[in-house]
Amino acid sequence: MVGLFFRRPLPSLLRVGILAALSLALTFYSTTHPQSRSMGLFLASPVLAADQALVRLWGEGQDYLRSRDQLLRENARLRAELLQAQQELVKLPLIRSENRQLLALLDSFPVPPGRVTVAGVVAQDLSPSNQSIIIDLGSRQGIRVGQPVLAPGGVVGQVVAVSTWNARVALLSDLDSSLPVRPEHSNTPLLLDGTGNLRELRVPFQARDTDLKPGTLLVTSGLGGRFPAGLPVGRITAVERPTDAAFAVVRVRPLAQLGQLNTVLLLWPGTRPSEP
Amino acid sequence: MIVLTWILAFLAAFVATNLPLGPVYASLHPDFVALLVLYWAIGGNGSLGYTLVWGIGLLQDLILGDLLGAHAMGLVLMLFLLYLGLARVRRLPPWEQLFFIFLLLLAERFVVWLWQGWTTPVRWHWALLVAPAFGAALWPLWTSLLDRVFQRQTRRG
Repeated sequence: MVGLFFRRPLPSLLRVGILAALSLALTFYSTTHPQSRSMGLFLASPVLAADQALVRLWGEGQDYLRSRDQLLRENARLRAELLQAQQELVKLPLIRSENRQLLALLDSFPVPPGRVTVAGVVAQDLSPSNQSIIIDLGSRQGIRVGQPVLAPGGVVGQVVAVSTWNARVALLSDLDSSLPVRPEHSNTPLLLDGTGNLRELRVPFQARDTDLKPGTLLVTSGLGGRFPAGLPVGRITAVERPTDAAFAVVRVRPLAQLGQLNTVLLLWPGTRPSEP
Repeated sequence: MIVLTWILAFLAAFVATNLPLGPVYASLHPDFVALLVLYWAIGGNGSLGYTLVWGIGLLQDLILGDLLGAHAMGLVLMLFLLYLGLARVRRLPPWEQLFFIFLLLLAERFVVWLWQGWTTPVRWHWALLVAPAFGAALWPLWTSLLDRVFQRQTRRG
């Protein structure tokens, strides 16, 4: 290269300058072309395959090392949970039929729950500017951009890039994430924005005299049509009214443990949260 | 054979950076790719080129799904700063070398943070200081491990 175009090697500072200009151009390109993230996912396939193998090995190692005492304790806890779940299950048919009657009164028809697919988490990036996970399903399994992703507790985020074998899921806490929600017992439409912090989301642009209160559960509103309505998302932890700000600061804690995801659920179009 | 070992070492560094082991690991783990670049640059006595390092950083951006160019620029500037004082760094006693490694890793982290802040309002976080500190603390172990791997390769080669 040096012999071909230049007689002497370029000074270091000039080389760094050229690379900085190239980096700027690429940054501009990646902000205007979000599909460049899919390309990265395809290139990362060998790395992700190794991550997947290590995660499996780690899980198997932990299971192997777990002591008998721990297993007995876990067994007892799971039995207790099962008993409680069985009690809840008894009530379910009653609630379901009541819900059907109410929906019929409102002249709307319940859509039966659609397909749900389980996916394993193979990689994560939890830097403040990019909070995402990578799952072990891709376009081969029919995964598409925009699909809602859930975990025990509630909504986790949505698929933002898909390659043949993997998909990237932007978490609710990602700075670019914004989800239409509403309080559980009201129809007030709200937005829930990511802050780059795994344990804190914000509801923007709320008037200082907002009637939102700490403890209120926020669920998806279904606006935009991407997420079905009624999925639990987070709980308001604080409503602050700083004297020097025009709006109230509404802090929300996501219900799903966004930083500790091993397995997630993907919803398919037409899915409604289980009744009621 | 040495080229293959380097490729495998970088692959391992990318894998370690991506592992889904929770938020504590995500905020505390050092930038293994930057540590590998530093080892190569110091051991190679200035033979590592900026363009190659830029390419490695770009690959890291692609794999992490991050803003393209952020890690590429971070690594290039880290290398530039290292080359400014390379001869001195090689002669430094181990403890002072650790401090210099910490500053270089911090500079790389800071550049990535600034670069990402161009598009998204990222906030300063304490982990930005802690991860480079862990990286510097790992440096003696890291170099002795890589010395074993690469010296064996050199002898075979």
